[in-house]
Amino acid sequence: MNPVKRWIRLYFIQAWFSYRALFAWSTPFNYIASKLGFPFFSMLLFIFLGQSVGLNDPVYIVIGNILLLPSLNGVMGISMTIGGEKQFGALSYLLGSPAPRSAVFIGRAFFHIIDGFIAVLVALPIAILVFHLDLSQTNFLLLALCVLLVCITSTGLGFIMGVVTLLSRDGWMITSTLALAFYVLIGVNFPIEALPGWLRGISLSLPMTRGIQAARMALAGADFATLAPLIAGEIIIGAAYILFGFALFRGVEQISFRNGALDNL
Amino acid sequence: MRDTLRFALRQISVQLQIRTFNLYSLLLFFIQPAIFSAVGMILSRAAGNAKPDLIYTVIGGGILGMWSGMLFTSTYDIRSDRRDGILELLVASPTPLRRIEYVRTFTNIAASLVSLLMAIGAAIAIFGFTFAGMNILLLLLAVGLLLYSLWCLGVFLANFLAWSRLSGSLVDFLELPIAFLCGFMYPIRVLPEWLQWISVVVPVRWALQALDSILLKTTKLDNYWFFISMSFITATLFWLLSVWFNRKVDDHIRITGELSSI
Repeated sequence: MNPVKRWIRLYFIQAWFSYRALFAWSTPFNYIASKLGFPFFSMLLFIFLGQSVGLNDPVYIVIGNILLLPSLNGVMGISMTIGGEKQFGALSYLLGSPAPRSAVFIGRAFFHIIDGFIAVLVALPIAILVFHLDLSQTNFLLLALCVLLVCITSTGLGFIMGVVTLLSRDGWMITSTLALAFYVLIGVNFPIEALPGWLRGISLSLPMTRGIQAARMALAGADFATLAPLIAGEIIIGAAYILFGFALFRGVEQISFRNGALDNL
Repeated sequence: MRDTLRFALRQISVQLQIRTFNLYSLLLFFIQPAIFSAVGMILSRAAGNAKPDLIYTVIGGGILGMWSGMLFTSTYDIRSDRRDGILELLVASPTPLRRIEYVRTFTNIAASLVSLLMAIGAAIAIFGFTFAGMNILLLLLAVGLLLYSLWCLGVFLANFLAWSRLSGSLVDFLELPIAFLCGFMYPIRVLPEWLQWISVVVPVRWALQALDSILLKTTKLDNYWFFISMSFITATLFWLLSVWFNRKVDDHIRITGELSSI
């Protein structure tokens, strides 16, 4: 078979199977609740928390939490997909197979990207109905582009956390902590300008921060020229994280071939 | 009596070493509450307040940590037993599973108290919170009722897993809804009235209201005793339900001889 065709075929087939395997245990109720339940109730908690301290307009928090959905998908979903290979004993076979690693590793993200995008499509109309979001000025095409961008760039952190999950028994706990930190770090509940300087530095070095900012501006009706610097920044940071995640996986794989590090844990 | 005490001490020791003190508990007891408190503080500053609301934003974060710690450790115990192949041994042992759950849940809640103590410590050390002018006895009674409420809910939810293996996932989704409905991090009056009605059966809500009324020094004593009574009654109802439920599970095991239901 033509190597390019083989790569594409492998990319999609294993992307689909790894995604199906992740939710194979689940029922529709569990799937929906795990996808939207925690984010929905954390959003409500933050809305009433804001209201109790004097912030009566919940729109900022609502939009932020909706835009967080693909980030959670990208980071936690992919980390679980990669970590699951070890948990269920499939990692050794995967590492022993002759399949190209780029297709096997990066392909894990494909359905999570689509899933994250659909989660926003589902959550947005609900928010419009419940919280009366005003979308009269919204640049929908740019908004869709920004959301898709966040779905893609968040996968970089997912790849990195996936490798951490392979290396550490507490990888899942580290990933969960990071996902919780998003509520503070990436401009979900308040603008990152409200953060102390050192935390703002961390925030700006993360993917998703600029993407979420750009999506907010697209919702308010900003044009492409205004958003271009944010979008460019998001692409550069996202690509760096994805490449680093892949390089990390390859590095750990090479070390593992020498000393069996991945099977020792 | 001596045997019971010996059993309880052994069980507490095993529970603390194997299940309670690990990195996951660290996340539940300290990191998650700290993150929620940080959001509350930054929102408070964004709203123009010079100081965060210590009772709700800081100490409320500690209570959220206690709740999450109890919820996940207590409900995951049976699941872990099944996974590790211990469940059959526990059920076959002369000590009833119910008693084991009682001690385990007590241990989990006692351990999760560190979350509340850390939050109070942070409120005192960083923000200058003081207990001056508070009725300490009533405060301790409210904390005691909070622990009792959490314990009753814990033993009820631990048995809840008897319904189905997937009920573990359902329990996962109780964490934030209860925190949101019971007003862990804000006064419950902030919620619309219809939402306040949903949590009347949750004992933690009443215990928290009793605790708030002492910490805020704003509520009349009559209200305090009403909150205390409601907390005690609803918590005891959950405990009675768990006893009934546990008997059903025991009967099921005796009749069918299989543990797949739990």
